[in-house]
Amino acid sequence: CKLVLSAAVKRRVLLTLPMMWLSLGWCVFFVLFWGLFVFSDDSLEPHFTECISRDQETFRCWWSPGSFHNLSSPGALKVFYLRKVSPVSEWKECPEYIHSKRECFFDVNYTSVWVPYCIQLRGQNNITFDDACFTVENIVRPDPPVSLNWTLLNISPSGLSYDVMVNWEPPPTADVEAGWMRIVYEIQYRERNSTYWEALEVQPHTQKTIYGLHIGKEYEVHIRSRMQAFSKFGEFSDPIFIHVTELYSEETTFPLTFILVFGTLGILILLMLILIFQQQRFMMILLPPVPAPKIKGIDAELLKKGKLDELNLILSGGIGGLHTYAPDFYPDEPWVEFIEVDPEDSAAGEKEDHQGSDTQRLLGLPPPVSLNHHLNIGCSSTISFPDDDSGRASCYGPDVPNQDTLILMAALLPGQAEEEEATLDEVERAPSPEGGESHFVQSQTAGSHTWVNTDFYAQVSNVMPSGGVVLSPGQQLRIQESTLSAEKEMQRKGKEIGACEETGEKKQKGLQFQLLVVDPEGGSYTTESTARQISAAPNSPTPSEGYQTIPPQPADAKPAATAEDNQSPYILPDSPQAPFFAPVGDYTVVQEVDSQHSLLLNPPPNLSPHPCMPQQPLKALPATPVAYVTPDLLGNLSP
Amino acid sequence: MLGYIRSVPAVWRVLVCLVFCRNLTSIGAAPICTNAQTGCQALSLANLFDRVIQHSARMHGISNDLHSEFEQYFLPSKNQIGRVSRNCHTSTILTPNGKENAQRMAREELTEVILKLLMAWRDPLWRFHQGMAHNHDFNNFSSNKALEMSDMVHELRKGVEKVADKMQMLGIISNSVSSQVSPEALLPSDSAEWHLMRDYDLLYCFRRDSNKVQNYLKILKCRIVPEHGC
Repeated sequence: CKLVLSAAVKRRVLLTLPMMWLSLGWCVFFVLFWGLFVFSDDSLEPHFTECISRDQETFRCWWSPGSFHNLSSPGALKVFYLRKVSPVSEWKECPEYIHSKRECFFDVNYTSVWVPYCIQLRGQNNITFDDACFTVENIVRPDPPVSLNWTLLNISPSGLSYDVMVNWEPPPTADVEAGWMRIVYEIQYRERNSTYWEALEVQPHTQKTIYGLHIGKEYEVHIRSRMQAFSKFGEFSDPIFIHVTELYSEETTFPLTFILVFGTLGILILLMLILIFQQQRFMMILLPPVPAPKIKGIDAELLKKGKLDELNLILSGGIGGLHTYAPDFYPDEPWVEFIEVDPEDSAAGEKEDHQGSDTQRLLGLPPPVSLNHHLNIGCSSTISFPDDDSGRASCYGPDVPNQDTLILMAALLPGQAEEEEATLDEVERAPSPEGGESHFVQSQTAGSHTWVNTDFYAQVSNVMPSGGVVLSPGQQLRIQESTLSAEKEMQRKGKEIGACEETGEKKQKGLQFQLLVVDPEGGSYTTESTARQISAAPNSPTPSEGYQTIPPQPADAKPAATAEDNQSPYILPDSPQAPFFAPVGDYTVVQEVDSQHSLLLNPPPNLSPHPCMPQQPLKALPATPVAYVTPDLLGNLSP
Repeated sequence: MLGYIRSVPAVWRVLVCLVFCRNLTSIGAAPICTNAQTGCQALSLANLFDRVIQHSARMHGISNDLHSEFEQYFLPSKNQIGRVSRNCHTSTILTPNGKENAQRMAREELTEVILKLLMAWRDPLWRFHQGMAHNHDFNNFSSNKALEMSDMVHELRKGVEKVADKMQMLGIISNSVSSQVSPEALLPSDSAEWHLMRDYDLLYCFRRDSNKVQNYLKILKCRIVPEHGC
């Protein structure tokens, strides 16, 4: 029967249980709430805050009045203690009050270790607010150690971390030497900006090694102490700071050397690459190309590309062209010399004289007179033709050793009227010791025509074996003209220039006149070698393609021979009459090529036709005769 | 008979030596012996004192550990101390309560106090250990500590006796220290007072007394063996 409970009883129990729980809960809640209210901070009784002994020989107790501010005045609260030394003990009042700190101090006489103490905080009328019991050895909190310092033990090979030995001295208040207190220490350290202290194991020794500190970071270390086998720690000591910066040690120089080595290698490789790829530029800097001879104003590209029209335009001094090849064109280029076809052995000695005379001629000054100047005296310095590139009259003078020839030549060279007269006068004066030529000269002066002073550049018609040069028919004509009047007075040594025959011969020589066709690449002047070539092979066209040889008469050696041997004033031409051409200047313009493939040349201006010469229809000179034949015209010329 | 009697201290000393050598950190390779027996290394008084002090420190440490472990189970009230002090059985033994008192006390008396204290705790600790071993409430760790503690008290007492003998031999202390403990200090095994003492109180008392022993030994050493700072 006891096993089976009635359903009604069960129901009742089940119903009442939650009610019970609910009520219980409410009660607890109320109690707690009331308790909180009662024990809140607002109403706090006076109480002991702490009792501490620093050296296990004295101790102190502090109290607080709590919220009872009326009891905060000194003397309102009293401390009584009881020391259970003997079975019969009584409460005594605090031996020493320090009211400013609300402290009760028990000195050595009142302190007993291992003896239970009880203290009471009493107010007026023996109202006990608080009491506490303890033994002194349990309230010992030693002072922190003093004289903290640290030494660097070592640095890791990587140079990133280091070990430090921290040592200190026990607190002076604790009698550790006598062994009255055995203190153990706890070191704590942290990084400067961290809030978490790293605590090391407590140990009784006064030194401790801290491992694994990082270089560059600043650490803070402080130590606290407690009694061995007790639990209450003292205050923390004043912190010390450990800071090890980067040290330059052998290990740190290793990466530095590596960086230096690799850096220099990289720079070297870079320079090599630059050198390789910019080779040409460097070559230009180191070995600048030698400037090739240039013609001022002429673009080398023009010559390369063969734009001869432009080139001709430029050379002729047309629109946008160069300046005329005037004598003042090369004022500052002394290397521009006038080609002189002189024998080498005499060239050196007389070059100066020639140049001097050339200069004189260039500048239009009267040439200096001296017997030694067997050349160029009487050569005119003016340009006869208005054409620009008729060349300068660098008077080629034959290297005549005998002065008579020289004098004769000088005498025979006509120039401009006044100047020549002056020169001739000078010449007249000069050879006066020679004698017998004065009248010759005079006659010449009387009857000399004022030839057109052609140029500085005279065409070489023949080169004599002696080394002299026979000038062009232009000058030959002049010579011939003068000698006509003076043929009576011919000296034996001089060149005997006869009448028409001589003239013809000379013309024959002049037949060796060649028209120079300027090759674009070639120079505009003939050189000695080419002149010799010309003279050597008169019949055959010169290897140079620019030459168009007019079939000359072989009369090379004869004039020379006749000049030297023949004393008669007459020189008979050996050869039959050669086709005689009209006297032309050194450079003339090819007017046209007639049907017979003969060149029709422009006669030089102011040139009176020779009486012995057949008249030829002369055509008017063009305004600007061009002395060079372009390859286009050359094509026309070729048969 | 006499030879047997004389040999007994020697045997005791050898045993003590062995015990000490086994438990404490070794000082030298050679075994410790007295009376200049061959093959032994004679220990100096200072060395003996060091050993003893080290032992007492360890003993006190263990007692502190046990006490704090027991404290977890029992919330100590402020009046706890007062109550306990009445029940400590060694409170009848007069002990100096301060540094000056201990320093002023005669060496022989101090040694005697130490020995008395150690003697008084031999049996209670043994019983305590027995009670812990049989009581399954405590873990093995605490039980082992209790056993170790009782053994240590036993060994420490013997060590201090050896030190006393040495001192007597050296003439530092005049008369032999009697290790006889007053009978009132000894608790009867089945006395009601003993049972009233709870384990926690026992541990508290023992913790206090081991601290006393440690301090007394240190002061004694400082007075007898000259050291800096004493």
